[in-house]
Amino acid sequence: MASLFGIDEKKLLRRRRAAETRFRLCAIAALVLAGAFLVFFLFDIGRKGYPAFQQGELLVTVNYTTEAHDNPYAAMDPDTVQIVSRSFTRLIPSMMAENSRLIGTTQEIWVLASADTDQYMKGRPNRLKPRHQALVDTMRQEGKARLAFNWGFFESGDSKLPELAGIRAAAIGSLYVLLITLAISFPVGVMCAVYLEEFAPDNRLTQVIEVNINNLAAIPSILYGLLGLAIFINFMGVARSSALVGGLTLSLMTLPAIIISTRAAIRSIPPSIREAALALGATPLQVVWHHVLPLSLPGILTGTIIGLARAMGETAPLLIVGMMAYIPEAPENFSSAATVLPAQIFTWASDSQRAFSERTAAGILVLLVLLLGMNATAIWLRNKYERKW
Amino acid sequence: MKSIKKVALAAALVLSLAGVAEARDQIRIVGSSTVYPFSSAVAEEFGATNKQFKSPVVESTGSGGGHKLFYAGVGPDTPDITNSSRRMKVEELETNIKNGVTDVTEAKIGFDGIVIAQNIGNADMDLSLKDLALAVLEEVPVDGKLAPNPYKTWKQLNPALPDRKIVIYGPPATSGTRDAFVEMVVEKFTGKDETFKAVLGKEAASYKKIRQDGPYVPAGENDNLIVQKLTKDTEAVGIFGYSFLAENKDRIKGCTVGGNPPTFENISSGKYPISRALYFYVKDAHIGKIAGLKEYVELFMSEKMIGDAGYLKTIGLIPLPAAEREKVRKDVTGFKKLTAEDLK
Amino acid sequence: MTMGSALQMALMAILPLSVLAYMAARRRAGADNARGTEFHSPLVYYGWYSCLWVALPSMGLFVLAGLLHLLHIATVPGPVLAGGGVALAAFGLVWSQRAIGRDFRAIQQVEGVVRWALIGASCISILITIGIVVSVVFEAMQFFRLVSLWDFLTGTKWSPETAFLISTGRADGNVATPEFGSLPLFAGTFYITAVAMLVAVPMGLFAAVYMAEYASQRVRRIAKPALEILAGIPTVVYGFFAAITVSPFIVHLAELVGLEAEYTNALAPGLVMGVMIIPLVSSLSDDVINAVPQAMREGSYALGATTSETIRKVVLPAALPGVVSAVLLAVSRAVGETMIVVMAAGLMPNLTWNPLKSMTTVTVSIVDSLTGDQAFDSPQTLSAFGLGLVLLVLTLVLNVVSLVVIRKFREQYE
Repeated sequence: MASLFGIDEKKLLRRRRAAETRFRLCAIAALVLAGAFLVFFLFDIGRKGYPAFQQGELLVTVNYTTEAHDNPYAAMDPDTVQIVSRSFTRLIPSMMAENSRLIGTTQEIWVLASADTDQYMKGRPNRLKPRHQALVDTMRQEGKARLAFNWGFFESGDSKLPELAGIRAAAIGSLYVLLITLAISFPVGVMCAVYLEEFAPDNRLTQVIEVNINNLAAIPSILYGLLGLAIFINFMGVARSSALVGGLTLSLMTLPAIIISTRAAIRSIPPSIREAALALGATPLQVVWHHVLPLSLPGILTGTIIGLARAMGETAPLLIVGMMAYIPEAPENFSSAATVLPAQIFTWASDSQRAFSERTAAGILVLLVLLLGMNATAIWLRNKYERKW
Repeated sequence: MKSIKKVALAAALVLSLAGVAEARDQIRIVGSSTVYPFSSAVAEEFGATNKQFKSPVVESTGSGGGHKLFYAGVGPDTPDITNSSRRMKVEELETNIKNGVTDVTEAKIGFDGIVIAQNIGNADMDLSLKDLALAVLEEVPVDGKLAPNPYKTWKQLNPALPDRKIVIYGPPATSGTRDAFVEMVVEKFTGKDETFKAVLGKEAASYKKIRQDGPYVPAGENDNLIVQKLTKDTEAVGIFGYSFLAENKDRIKGCTVGGNPPTFENISSGKYPISRALYFYVKDAHIGKIAGLKEYVELFMSEKMIGDAGYLKTIGLIPLPAAEREKVRKDVTGFKKLTAEDLK
Repeated sequence: MTMGSALQMALMAILPLSVLAYMAARRRAGADNARGTEFHSPLVYYGWYSCLWVALPSMGLFVLAGLLHLLHIATVPGPVLAGGGVALAAFGLVWSQRAIGRDFRAIQQVEGVVRWALIGASCISILITIGIVVSVVFEAMQFFRLVSLWDFLTGTKWSPETAFLISTGRADGNVATPEFGSLPLFAGTFYITAVAMLVAVPMGLFAAVYMAEYASQRVRRIAKPALEILAGIPTVVYGFFAAITVSPFIVHLAELVGLEAEYTNALAPGLVMGVMIIPLVSSLSDDVINAVPQAMREGSYALGATTSETIRKVVLPAALPGVVSAVLLAVSRAVGETMIVVMAAGLMPNLTWNPLKSMTTVTVSIVDSLTGDQAFDSPQTLSAFGLGLVLLVLTLVLNVVSLVVIRKFREQYE
């Protein structure tokens, strides 16, 4: 068929179709590849972390002799002591001091195995001597050694003994820090966004504020740490490594994200709603308070949750304000020392003891599950209340 | 009435936020990341076995950051103890005194061996201080003049060594481990070596610039990562603390230095030449003010912790010789005041 | 009595007072209203008006006293301050009750205050910026007194280690002066960022296009948040992955091709960082692409364009400003990333074009200098603040540029 401009139309059409397919394939490939990375990471972390949810325990005979009161190592036979966690042995004297009826008795109880025993039972590299390995094997055959679900991981705080280390203190610390972050960045962020979207005249000041907020969103988080150190700790005298200083620092970091997402949410409310309210005699603030905010709330909450999720995973600024520390106890109030999940993961990751590597992965798993939970909430909110205008 | 509830809620929130700054009831420790594992192990032991005290808070800030926080002054918002992987400097002591921290007690707790390790599958390597120094120096004397370090393989340095590219994962310039390595390897060599003396004269001992052309790779503070890199990168060697070698004997092995393998005994006796002392410094003015401080220090210095069969040995601290330990313990538990003369 | 506990007690008195004020004013207005006097504003506003009169002046007093104290100008004794605050609050209570009447325009008063509060909240962002600048600038000045700004910006050699030796007091005699040429650091930052963007922009953009234009609603609802998880994985994890898995892989690959790669190459952290920021690009771009009016697509289809032609020639150009800002946000995230680089690329400043060599970035140097073992007044620690300041200026420039770009394009398509 002769073509109009000397172009073979069929060929052209074929080329265009091929281009279409190529483009589409590229798009699918990008999505699939990104998804594959995600699956790979999750699988990798899961594989490394899941052993930490099991914990070796041993059934041992403890002799609460008077000698054991001074030297707890005398309470068990010399080989057994080597495979039992120090977290148990070191407490024998104080247990005896607290409960005098124990003295002179012999008991058979389940206790935590030492980290090396635990690793040996899981078939991982360990430093157990062959003699002790044989002992663990015999105990296993006798049913005196078992791998049980590691509740301790969720019930205890940080420890230098890998078998005892848990995430409770860090999780509660994270909660405290996030509460403060939320309490400050949410109201301030929403107020700022409302002003910029609904009231601000288009003048120099507004422009400066707008540029400034975009800029703040892009500032490396480590600089927020320097700010927290200078303003909150050195100037205002807030206690170092407290949940308060961590929360304040992170709230400054989260603020721009909340402002930006709130503005987007407010902008998506059609002007007709505002005009209708104004026409009925509402004041500008009443329009905002009664109509704009309730309608944009899902969007605002989504942005806030995602901002908080980012704050929860942040390490660098908290390192500067002293939250990368050994803090085994959960904070009691906002001014007591606290650590947070990512900081806990970071300290475990740099510990020389091998048994910490699975705890690190398990900690990451817990953090990921929490982040996922927050993201899922955001999505649920978005889907439930999302409206099309 | 709904809004009243809201007001009350806000009020409760404000009040709970306002509850700031009471007197401190737990010990605060800052400082070196190398001492951190030992310090926090003692802190944990202290918290677990003494129900009347809260566990101390141990922060890993690096030695410099620790001293800075420590010398800020006396009072509950300054730390009670700073850990240090190097000795306090005279200037730091002076700043302490200037800021009212007049009485400081120094505690030497033991040694940290610095090992040169490689992949377990490699042939054994025996390095001398000279080999190590020449491998990391930026410039070496060639024909009576300093010239950029020409050595790219170990064999070029020393025919007895394997024909492998020089790749050393070591601590970054800011790290105390690097400083110790430079002091104990590089300076020792340049100070005594005739060719260096011929070129630089008396200043030979102060030539200690580390090369930046590739073979020396400053890695981050995470030594686990260096270990893991060595399992993949069979050409390289890594420089890090002894405890990481002890934990990973199934996949890496230490190079002998001057024929001496890095073992507990050799490091403790000084036969293995690369090790450094670890310290912590106590603010004496806080004793009696901060609950448990004295007890913590006593526990730390006890044989149960830093002794030959002590707990810290199991996590990689190399104990001081018995006699020195005894002396240090007496000084520390008596809270002997540190003077500028001691530091010289 | 310390200032803190005095304040706490004063707050405990003032808060009930303000609740009381609210209720009293409302009841008074309500009672009058019931008697048939028509009030100007809805009744709650009288309550709020009174409440504000109780709370604001006393809080202002506390803030003022706190500032005076923090700036070491004067310290008001705790009890005096608490007493003053409560007295002010009580005065406010009485004063505001007096004003309530039929013609009193409470709503305007309250809205005026709220509007000022909104302006105040907006200005906090400026305060934060000032705070960041101030917290960096003093130490940075100290640093630039030791090292000239010009040398710092244009020097090609970053070798501050002798600064460390000087600061530990062990440098004597013939020690070369430390060099603080930050060019290799910034070059490394941009290089690694560029590698990351090479991964993130095409992948993120294609993923966004697929989600917005091809995928069904269901796929989109699952895929978008699933990708966002990638941004939530702690960077430590990525760091280990880059160092242990990707780096050796690149080395082997390079060997196959006959190239020589270092285990601490710049490629590995760049690639992994790219994966990390895919969701930043994809999610934001997806939103923007979705916001392009359907009419534009339909117009294009009506002219016979295929889907991909419509996307490339109509949708993407229309969405460009948003995409650009998404990409710039991703760039700033990549510039600020620390952990991945520390773990995979190491800390060696290196001015090179070869991605198979090791490099380091600005933020890595900052963290490294601040957490090291050297004395805190040493030039190297101070250099962290110098670097921070330059980084700050840089992000500002990047943002202003992006704003200009966005404004320009927005005018064309709206």
